[in-house]
Amino acid sequence: MKKFLSLLLAMAMVLSLAACGSGDKPTESTAPDASKAPSESSAPAGATSMAVCIASEPDTIDPALNSAVDGATLVSHLFSGLAKWSQDDSGNLIIVADAAAELPEGVVNEDGTVTYTYTLKDGVTWSDGQAVTAADFVFAWNRAASPELGADYGYMFEVVDGYAAMNEMTPVLDENGEPKKDEETGDPVMEIANPDAVLNVKAVDDKTLEVTLANAVAYWNELLAFPTYFPVREDVVSNEAWATDPSTYVSNGAYTMTGWDHNSVITLEKNEHFHDADEILMDKIEFYLSDDANNMLTNFQNGSWLLIDDVPTNEIANLKQSDPEQFVVAGQIGTYYACWNINQEILPAGSNLTGVEAEKARQEIRSAISLLLDRNYIVEDIAQGGQVPASSFVAMGMTEPDGKQFYQNTGVSADFDGYYNVSADALESNYASAVETLKKYYTFDEASQKFTDFPTITYLYNTGSGHEAIGQYIQAAVSSVGINVNMDNQEWNTFLNTRKNGDYGIARNGWLADYNDPICFLDMWVSGSGNNDIQYGKGAHKDLAMYSLDLTGLGYEDIKVENGTWAQTYDVLISTIKACTDNEVRYQLMHIAEDMLMDTGCIIPLYFYTDIYMLNSSVDGFFSNPLGYKYFMYCTVNG
Amino acid sequence: MNTKTLAYILKRIGLAILTVWVVITVTFFVMHAVPGGPFLSEKSPSPAVRAALEAKYGLDKPRFEQYTTYLNDILHLDFGPSIKQRGQQVSTIIMDGMKVSVKLGVIAAGCALACGVVLGAVAALRRNKLIDRIIMVVTTAFVSMPSFIMGSLLLVVFVVKLQLLPGNGSAQSGPAGLVLPIITLALYPMAYITRLTRSSMLDVLGQDYIRTARAKGVSGRRIIFGHALKNSLIPVITYVGPMLAYIVTGSLVVEKIFAVAGVGRAFVNSIINRDYPLVMGTTIVLAVLIVVMNLLSDILYKVVDPRISFD
Repeated sequence: MKKFLSLLLAMAMVLSLAACGSGDKPTESTAPDASKAPSESSAPAGATSMAVCIASEPDTIDPALNSAVDGATLVSHLFSGLAKWSQDDSGNLIIVADAAAELPEGVVNEDGTVTYTYTLKDGVTWSDGQAVTAADFVFAWNRAASPELGADYGYMFEVVDGYAAMNEMTPVLDENGEPKKDEETGDPVMEIANPDAVLNVKAVDDKTLEVTLANAVAYWNELLAFPTYFPVREDVVSNEAWATDPSTYVSNGAYTMTGWDHNSVITLEKNEHFHDADEILMDKIEFYLSDDANNMLTNFQNGSWLLIDDVPTNEIANLKQSDPEQFVVAGQIGTYYACWNINQEILPAGSNLTGVEAEKARQEIRSAISLLLDRNYIVEDIAQGGQVPASSFVAMGMTEPDGKQFYQNTGVSADFDGYYNVSADALESNYASAVETLKKYYTFDEASQKFTDFPTITYLYNTGSGHEAIGQYIQAAVSSVGINVNMDNQEWNTFLNTRKNGDYGIARNGWLADYNDPICFLDMWVSGSGNNDIQYGKGAHKDLAMYSLDLTGLGYEDIKVENGTWAQTYDVLISTIKACTDNEVRYQLMHIAEDMLMDTGCIIPLYFYTDIYMLNSSVDGFFSNPLGYKYFMYCTVNG
Repeated sequence: MNTKTLAYILKRIGLAILTVWVVITVTFFVMHAVPGGPFLSEKSPSPAVRAALEAKYGLDKPRFEQYTTYLNDILHLDFGPSIKQRGQQVSTIIMDGMKVSVKLGVIAAGCALACGVVLGAVAALRRNKLIDRIIMVVTTAFVSMPSFIMGSLLLVVFVVKLQLLPGNGSAQSGPAGLVLPIITLALYPMAYITRLTRSSMLDVLGQDYIRTARAKGVSGRRIIFGHALKNSLIPVITYVGPMLAYIVTGSLVVEKIFAVAGVGRAFVNSIINRDYPLVMGTTIVLAVLIVVMNLLSDILYKVVDPRISFD
């Protein structure tokens, strides 16, 4: 009987499962809204809602914690900072006041600091109806800049007076007053020196905000439009999970988040309390969450999604041809490059060069190898996204005060931009001059036209078909002169670790700007920087006294170094730039810094990034900024 | 239930707990030994930020202390917060993923069972006929093909060539998007069940009591549905537990291929991001699932077939 009962039970299980199998399937519509919504939004003329797809589920949409471009797009729709990106009548991008009534000039104080005073517009409120106060900004900025929060972009507040003190580290002392050492690594244990330090930001009254910068900063207004500078309210963010659910997400921008179906769709609806609500034309935006480029393209082509921020690489060539109107290549300030480890030995085994002499030789060798590469091939046949061949590190899109491009002002030659000619015509002469240079150091076999004693080097790259193809191209290109390159593919996180520690010969690298100022490309190479992957001023390179810096002609009478180390020259130069208030001099200094970088030959610029997306031709009023943020609030959809 | 049975079950539960503990320990130390860390990014944080974050997540403590703290938290069913997805609890992320994975798994298991039993029975009853041969060849192929090959193959055929179905299993594709992942998941267990049912049915059909029933003149249909099928399903039933566990854990690869937002994908991403609490959480949940399913299946086996001894 027991056996019969259990069998019955088991059969029932089997049947019910089978029933689930057949019966559940039709109703299996997983988030039914998601499957239906696109068809609604592809709807009729004059529709005031639109569906787009810019990326998959964001890690966070807390304005302070976000460091991703897609997150920044969402946050820019949801929050209103003191300033915002906008377009003028002729379509140029400008920074205008948003929550602030206007963006006044700063007042220079006696000690060189600069104070800005902002007045908030009337009627700036949170989505729950409470007024936004100056104190909310004070709180939000201190929160975002604090090491405790640990925001990736906390350093965006570096320019504000007080930030340095907040981030100062001090060695921990043991009972004997000696610096404590880490048991495993032997490094001194450090702690935050001033846990109570705050930024020099004050709420004078509910509507008046006063902020003091360590010195004048050319891109300050742009920073005010950066998501990290957006306000949040203390009682809202005291709930750590506030930014993961629409019910707890209180914002002050053009939209409120009305739905977040995780891994599926985020819905924004127009915030009627927004101070500029009349200007907002799009009532509802659905951000579908997907990182599958094929899926994006399918939904774009069937009209469900009106903008997609990615397309399958193998479709790019085809789409450029077949759909040039909707396929958009926009500029993005960033450089894709390969970097050398400066401490990597590349001289032939029998070389008798040492120290400074050896490093001077390596500089020349590395620069020569950079000339062997055909960047047009990389751009046209591998990357295929309208990228621009690069021969400088500071990216295209960085403008000087006079509006000219920084990379066109290197002053190397009037015939080309950047540091060397990367046009297709120059390829042969580049190649020949590279071979001539290399002949000075290596044995050249005339019969095979190859060098025979170049040590084998390793190219480190992270998993990704594009990175691999570029690595393989570099491998093939340099092997034509007899240089052997081994490919070392590592998974992303391991790769970052290896590259940061300098355990590589050449590595794939890339850098995207955070704001339109070349300093964000230059300050990463100071000796102590966490992003100094090349290892400038570290290891053996630390003691090489071979760099010169003479700023006497630019009004810095006391800065003249001959044969100094990297720390004595480049580091000094960068701090001089950061403290420099004369914009013209400042840009000259930044060119000197880039010259120094490029002279080392450690940076092999390959191309300047572009931002590829597809935009349905029925959409009007869309724009994106050079950082890749997309703005849908002024969009209208025509039939 | 006699004392012997009880002792066996207790012993098995003890072993199960031990297994999970070993999994936790090994994962914990291996995870920390892997190069990289949760705070590495293209733009690296300042030392002060790093120190503050490490303190926040307890990563500044000696490794063994972190381990004991973690074990203690786990005993209180506290998986902690995710490091990468700030503000989200690991338990929430796992629950969200599980909803998708379990749904997928249960449907796949249902399909596998229904088709497998039918095909197996047909093959047994038509033993050595053409239909049996075909079923056997096909199921052998399915049993020996790993899911990532099967998934890619289905993608090529149904998505790229025939363009019949979406290749994306995320919510945006609607139910149609789940067809391919379900098929990919179901084919292996279906083939396995077919073979299991067939051999067990053949075994039962050769038993004396079936011959007796035949001799008594019981109709063929009654013999098959009343006696043979019932008894031949015993091994199949005990396979259901491990199969569900296999499907839910095996969906790891399948979810990645078809972009399904399930627990498998959360697991893979957590490893890529070195999101330590999420790596531990997903590992533990998946390990517990397998251990519990195996345990249940062993106990069920005994319950449905008294001939099996617990010694």
